Amino acid sequence: MDGTVWMLFSIGFPVLTGLLLLCVPCIRKRGAVVTVTAAGLVVTSLSVFAAVGAGKGTCTLLTLTEDVPVYFHMDGAGRLFASVVTIVWLCGGAFAFSYMKHEREEKRYFGCYLIVYGILNGLDFSGNIVTFYMFYEFMTIMSFPLVLHTRSREAIMAGLKYLFYSFCGAYLVLFGIYFLHRYGTTLAFTPGGVLSPEAVAGREAFLLLMAFLMILGFGVKAGMFPLHGWLPTAHPVAPAPASAVLSGIIVKSGVLGMLRVVYYLFGTAFLRGSWVQYVWLSLSLFTVFMGSMLAYREKVLKKRLAYSTVSQVSYILFGLAVMNQTALTGSMLHVVCHACIKSGLFLFAGAIIVQTGKTRVEELTGIGKEMPVLLWCYTICSLALIGIPPTGGFISKWYLAMGALEGGVLPVFGWLGPAVLLVSALLTAGYLLPVTIRGFFPGNGFDYAHLHKREPAAAMLLPILILTIVSVIAGMFPGELIRFVGSMI
Amino acid sequence: MEPVMMFVVVLLPVLAGILVFLLPFRKRVHMLVFLEGMVTLTSVLAICLLVDHPGDKLAIVKFTGDLTLSFRIDGMSMVFGGMAAFLWPLATLYAFEYMKHEQREKSFFLFYTITYGVTLGIAFAEDMMTMYFFYELLTLVTVPLVMHTLSREAILASRRYLYYSLGGAAFGFLGLIFIIVYGSPDFVMGGSLNLAKIGGRTNLLLLIYVLAFLGFGVKAALCPFNSWLPAAGVAPTPVTALLHAVAVVKAGAFAIIRLTYYCFGVEFLRGTWAQGVVMTIALLTILYGSGRAVKETHFKRRLAYSTISNLSYILFGVTIMTPLGLAGALTHMLCHAVMKICSFFCAGAVICKSGRTFIYELDGIGRKMPMVMGIFTVASLALMGTPGLCGFVSKWYLAQAAAESGNPLAFAGVGVLLVSALLTAVYMLTVAVRAWFPPVGFCEDSLAGIKDPGICMLLPIVLFAGVMVLLGLYSMPLTDFLQRVSRGMY
Amino acid sequence: MDFVCNFPFFSILLTLFSGTVCSMLPRRAARWVNTGVILAAGGMSLALLIWLLQGGDCFVYMMGHFPAPWGNEIRAGILEAAMALFFCIIMLLSMWGGRKKLDEEVEESKHNLYYVLVNLLLSSLLALVYTNDLFTAYVFVEINTIAACGLIMIRQIGRTLAAAVRYMIMSLVGSGLLLIGLCMLYDLTGHLLMSNIRQSVEVIMAEGTYAIPLVITVALMVVGLAIKSALFPFHAWLPDAYGYSTISSAAILSSLASKGYIFLLIKIIYRVIGFEVFNNTHIINVLFVFGLMAMVFGSLSAIKESGIRRMIAFSSVAQVGYIYMGIGLGTKAGMIASVYHIFAHAAGKALLFIAVIGLTDVSGFSRRFIDQTGAGFRNKIAGIGFTVGSLSMVGVPVFAGFVSKILFAQAAVNNSRKLLPTMIVLAVSTILNAIYFMKTVIRIYTPAPDSGYEGVAIGKEKLYALSILLFIVLNIALGMSSQPVVDAISAGLDMFG
Repeated sequence: MDGTVWMLFSIGFPVLTGLLLLCVPCIRKRGAVVTVTAAGLVVTSLSVFAAVGAGKGTCTLLTLTEDVPVYFHMDGAGRLFASVVTIVWLCGGAFAFSYMKHEREEKRYFGCYLIVYGILNGLDFSGNIVTFYMFYEFMTIMSFPLVLHTRSREAIMAGLKYLFYSFCGAYLVLFGIYFLHRYGTTLAFTPGGVLSPEAVAGREAFLLLMAFLMILGFGVKAGMFPLHGWLPTAHPVAPAPASAVLSGIIVKSGVLGMLRVVYYLFGTAFLRGSWVQYVWLSLSLFTVFMGSMLAYREKVLKKRLAYSTVSQVSYILFGLAVMNQTALTGSMLHVVCHACIKSGLFLFAGAIIVQTGKTRVEELTGIGKEMPVLLWCYTICSLALIGIPPTGGFISKWYLAMGALEGGVLPVFGWLGPAVLLVSALLTAGYLLPVTIRGFFPGNGFDYAHLHKREPAAAMLLPILILTIVSVIAGMFPGELIRFVGSMI
Repeated sequence: MEPVMMFVVVLLPVLAGILVFLLPFRKRVHMLVFLEGMVTLTSVLAICLLVDHPGDKLAIVKFTGDLTLSFRIDGMSMVFGGMAAFLWPLATLYAFEYMKHEQREKSFFLFYTITYGVTLGIAFAEDMMTMYFFYELLTLVTVPLVMHTLSREAILASRRYLYYSLGGAAFGFLGLIFIIVYGSPDFVMGGSLNLAKIGGRTNLLLLIYVLAFLGFGVKAALCPFNSWLPAAGVAPTPVTALLHAVAVVKAGAFAIIRLTYYCFGVEFLRGTWAQGVVMTIALLTILYGSGRAVKETHFKRRLAYSTISNLSYILFGVTIMTPLGLAGALTHMLCHAVMKICSFFCAGAVICKSGRTFIYELDGIGRKMPMVMGIFTVASLALMGTPGLCGFVSKWYLAQAAAESGNPLAFAGVGVLLVSALLTAVYMLTVAVRAWFPPVGFCEDSLAGIKDPGICMLLPIVLFAGVMVLLGLYSMPLTDFLQRVSRGMY
Repeated sequence: MDFVCNFPFFSILLTLFSGTVCSMLPRRAARWVNTGVILAAGGMSLALLIWLLQGGDCFVYMMGHFPAPWGNEIRAGILEAAMALFFCIIMLLSMWGGRKKLDEEVEESKHNLYYVLVNLLLSSLLALVYTNDLFTAYVFVEINTIAACGLIMIRQIGRTLAAAVRYMIMSLVGSGLLLIGLCMLYDLTGHLLMSNIRQSVEVIMAEGTYAIPLVITVALMVVGLAIKSALFPFHAWLPDAYGYSTISSAAILSSLASKGYIFLLIKIIYRVIGFEVFNNTHIINVLFVFGLMAMVFGSLSAIKESGIRRMIAFSSVAQVGYIYMGIGLGTKAGMIASVYHIFAHAAGKALLFIAVIGLTDVSGFSRRFIDQTGAGFRNKIAGIGFTVGSLSMVGVPVFAGFVSKILFAQAAVNNSRKLLPTMIVLAVSTILNAIYFMKTVIRIYTPAPDSGYEGVAIGKEKLYALSILLFIVLNIALGMSSQPVVDAISAGLDMFG
C-alpha cells in the first residue's frame, strides 16, 4: 500500500492532538492530559511505522505560490530519520509521564511535545526545500516552549538565545534557497543535485558561497562552530526529557538539512574539492575537538552532556563533509546511535535529578550503590559513545575513519580526521566515565551508611533501558542498517 | 460602470464624514450604523468599480495648461484602491469600539472618513497632477487625526508630521514639474518621458528623480526623514493602524511606484547611478527601522519602526526596477497592510483594555487576552516571514525579483531582507514571549479585570488573521493578478 | 475711438478728485464716496478689460492736444486693465475687512483723512499702471509714497511713527535713485515717453556708444524700485510698517503698494528698455540672486519671529523674492509667473492680514504667538481665512499659490543655467513656508479652554465675514481656473512688446 495517507496522517494527527491539548480548556486533570498524549504518541508512531514500512509516498498538499508547492516525498533518508525520531520520541514521552510530575504546566509541555513530533515527521518527509524550511521554522517555534518550560529567568533567556540563533541559521538557509530557485531547475530534493549547468555557468563562486551559507545555517541547529553558542545554554535548562529529545533529535534536523542541501540540491559533484568542502571539514573537526574539551572541563552533568552533543554531532558533519559513500554510511549510523545514546544519557541525568536532586558530577559519588541498574545503563551508553566494540558507536566511528582514509579529499584531512576522532574519543572517555567510576567506586573515606536503595520506578527506567539496548543492538547487528544506508543515495 | 462613479466614490466618504459631524445622533449606535453603512457602501461601490472599471478618464477641473484633475482606473489603482476598500470598513468597526474611551469622537470620525475619500482619490488619480493634489490633501486631512488627543506631545507630533509631509511634497513637486515639461503628466506604464526632448540632460533628470523619490519617500518614511512616523504614534490606534501603517505611508510608496514605473519609466532608470542611490537608501532604511524597533520599548512605537523597515521592503522591490520587482513590491504592500494593521489592532486592544503601553508591562497578558495575543503572535510570525503565512510569500517574490535582476546590489539587498527578518524576530517575538511566558513568580492578580475585547474589535482582528493564513497558504490568484498588473496588462 | 478708451483717464481723475472731496465730507459720506469710487474704478477697468479681451487692441490715449514726443500719454492693454481691476478688488475687500478695526484704532477726526489717503493711493496706483510717461510715473510714485506714509502713521502709536519715518527715508532713497536714472535716461535719449525712449535705446544699443551709461541708468532705476518694493536686503522698513499700522493699511500696502512698483518695473523692462536688452545685462542675474536670497532669508526671519503680524510681514519679503526670481529668469514664462504671483500673493497676503486681525482681537489684542492658542475656534471665519491663506502661501493645490509655484517651476525648467538653484530654493522655501504657516495654523486650532478670551460669532461682523469669504473665493478661483488669467497675462505681455 502507498504510504501517502499514513505519511500525512503522521504529520497532521499529532499536531491536531497537540493543539487540542493546548487550546481546549476543559482537559484539566493530569490523567486526561497523559491519556491524550499517550494516545497521540502511540497512534502517530504506528502511522509512522506504517508509512516507513510502505516505503513510498508522494503528495503535493498545497501550492503556496507559483513554483512553491508544499510537497512531501518519502525517500531513504526520510525513512531513516523518521524511524529514529519515533523511537526516541516514544521513549522521551514515556519518561516524561513520570518525570513531569514535579514540574508545572504539564499540559503545555505535552501539547508542544506532540506538535513538535508531527512537525518532525513533516520535516523528515519533506520533498522540497521550501517545505523543509517551513517545518524547520515551525520546529524552532514549537520547541521553544519546551526549552523555557521552567520559566526561570535563566530558562527564558536561554530560550530566546535558542530562538534567535535558530532564526539566524534559518535565514542563512533562506538566503541560499532564494538563489537556488533562480539557478536550479527545481526545488525538489533530487539525488545528485538540481543545479542547471547553463544558469550556473559563470556564477560558480557565488553559488559556492550560497552553499556555504546554507551549510552554516543548518550548522546552527547542529551546533557546529561558530554558531553553536546556544546549544550548551539551552539544552541543560530544559526539563530532562526535553533536553533528551533536543539533543537527540532536534539537532539532527540540522544534519538532515545539510544532507539535503549537499547531496540532494547542490550535489557532491559541485562541491567536492571546493573551498566549501575544506572549510566545512575544518569547522567540523574543530567543533569535534572543542566540544570534547569543553565537556571535559564542565562540572554540571547536563551541561557536560550538551557539550558532548556539540562534539558528537560534528562527527556526523565530518562524515557528510568527506563526501564519499563510506563516510556517509558512518554518518548515518552515528545519527542513529547518537540519537539513542544521547537521549539515554539525558534521561539518566533527569532520573538522577528526580531521585536525588543532584546536578553536579562530583555529587554523584556512590550512586551506583543506590541505583545500580540506572548506572549500568549509563555506563553502557557511555561506552557506546566512546566507541568501544561491540556497541553502535564503534561501527559508526569505524566507518567515519575509513571514509576519511579512503581519500578523495586533501590528504591532510585523511590523517587529521581520524586522529582528531581518536583524541576526541579519549576525551569522551575522560568526561563520561568518571561518573561511573565515582558511582560504583566511591573511594576510601566514603560513608556507605546513609545510602539506601532508590532505583527509579519502572516507568522511568524502561525508556532508558530501551534506548541503551537499541544503541548496543545497532552495533552488534549493523548489517541490515548498513545495507539500508548504502542504498539510500 | 459609468466614469462619473469614480468621482462619486471619492466624494461619498467626504460627505459621509461631514454628515456624521453635523447630524445629531440620539444614540451612539445610530452613528455607528450610519457610518459603517456609508463606508461599506463606498467600499462596495469602489470594488464594483475596480472590477468593472471604465476605461475612459474623467476630467473634473482644469487647473492650468494641460493640468487637470482627472480620474482613471488602471492596474495600480485596482491594487491600492482595493486595499483601502477592504481595510476601511473593518478599521471603522474597530475604531468604533476603540474610540469609546476617547473624547471628541465626531470630529475624529469626520476626518477619519474624509481620509477614505482622499485615499481613493490617490488610487484613482489619472495623472501626476491629480495624485499630487490628493497627496497634499491627505496630509492636511490627517493632521487633525494626529493631534486628536490635543496633548502637548500630539501637537508636536502633528507639527512635525506636517512639516515633513509638506516639505517632502515640495521635492515631489520638482518631479511633477519635470515630468510635465519633459513628458506628459499622464500615467503610462513604462514611463511618459519624451527621450528626444531630454537630449543631453540625462543626469539632470536622474538627479530630479532621486530628489522626487526622496520627497515622496518622506511619507514612506525613508531613512533620514522618518522621525515623524514614530512620533505620530500618539494618535488613537485606529489612526496609527490604518493611516500610519497603511493608507498614508503606502500612499508614499504608491507615489514612488507611479513616479518610477509610470512617469520616468524603468527603462530610463535601470542601471543608472540613480537606481544605485535609491536602492541603497531603501536598504539602509530597512536596517535602520528594524534596528530601532529592537531598541524601542514602547509598544506602538516599536510597531511604527517596524513599519518604517517594512515600507522600505516595498521600496526595495520598486527600486529593482523590473516587472518582477514591482510585483514583489505590490505583494508586500498588500501583505504588509494586513499584517501590520492586524498587529496594530492587537496592540490597540491591549492598550484599550489594560492601559499598558510599554512592552515591559505586558508580562503574562497572553493569559488574559488569549485571542488578541494569539493573533498577535501569528502576525509576528507572518512579519518575520514564516512559511505558511503571507509574509513569506511577499518576501519570496521580492527575493526572486532581486535574484532574477542580476544586480549585485539587489543580491546584497536579499541579505539585508534576511538580516531584517532576524531583527523582526527579535522585536516581535520578545513581545509574544513576554505575553505568554512570564517569568516564575509572576502574579496573575496584577492583571485582574483584563479580558479580550468585544466583537467590534475582535472581528476585524480575526478576519485579518484569516487573511494572513489564507494568503500564506494559497496566494496564486493574487500574485498572478499582481504579476499582470506589474507588466501593465490593465 | 470707443468711449471705453476714456476709462483709464476717467478712473485716475475720479480717484484723484474724490480724494479732495473726501476731506470736506462727513465721515460716513466719505466712506461711501470711497467705496463708490473704488467700485467705479473697478467697474471701468472691468469694462475696459472686457472690451480688450473681445478683440480691442491696446491703445495710446493722448492727454491734451500735444502729440508725442511732447504730450503726456496713457496707454492701456489687457495687462494694465486686469491689474487695475485686481487692485480695485483687493482694495475694496481690504477696506471692508479692516473697517471695524479702523473705527477702533484711528481717531474719529482722522477718518476723513484716511479715505483721502486711500483714494490718493488708488489713483497713484492706477496712474502707475496706465501711464506711458516716465515722468508722470515718477510723480505718482511720490504721491504713492506720501499716501503710504500717511496710511502707516494714521494709527498714532510710537512704532507706527518710527516705521513711517523709516519707510519715508527708504522710499525717498528709492525715488531718488529712480529720479536720477530717469534724468540720465532723458539725457541719453532726449525723451520721457516710454515708446520714444524705447526706439532711442535700440539705436544706442545698436551703436554701442553709450551702452555702459545706459546699463548704469537701468541699474539705478531697478535698484530704486527694488528698494521701494522691499526686495531683500532693502526690506528693513517693511516688518514694522506692515506689522503695526492699522490692518487695512497693512493689507493694502503689502498687497498693492509694493506691487505697483513691481508692475512699473515690468513696464520699464518691456516698454522702456526692451526685454532683450535688459536680459543681456547682468542686472537680471543680480535680481535673480536677490530674489532667491529673499525667498530663503525672508522665510527664515519669519520663522524666528514671535509676533504673528510681523511674521506675515516677513513672509511678504519672501513672496516679493518669488516675483523678482521670476523676473530674473529672463523668459516670458518667468514673467508670466511673476505677474501671476502678483495676483496670487496679493489675494493671499491681504486675506492673511485681514484674518489675523480677527484672531488677535479674540486673543486679548495680543500679537504674540502663544496667545493665539485656540483663536481659530473663537473666531471661526478668521480661522478659516487664515488657514486658506496659509495653504495658498505654502502652495497647496486648489489655492492660488500652487498655480504660481507651478508656473515658476515650469518657467525655470526652460532656463538650464538657473534651473537647479531655482528648483532647490523653491523646494526649500516651500518647506520654510510650511514651517511657519502650519505652525500657526496648528496653534490657532489647539484648544485653550482656560485662556479666558471671549469668542465672537460670525453674524456679529457681517462685513468682515463677507470680505474674508470673498477673499477665499478669490483665492480658490485663482487656483482652480487659472487658465484664463494666465492667457490674459500672456496676451497682455505680448501687447507690451
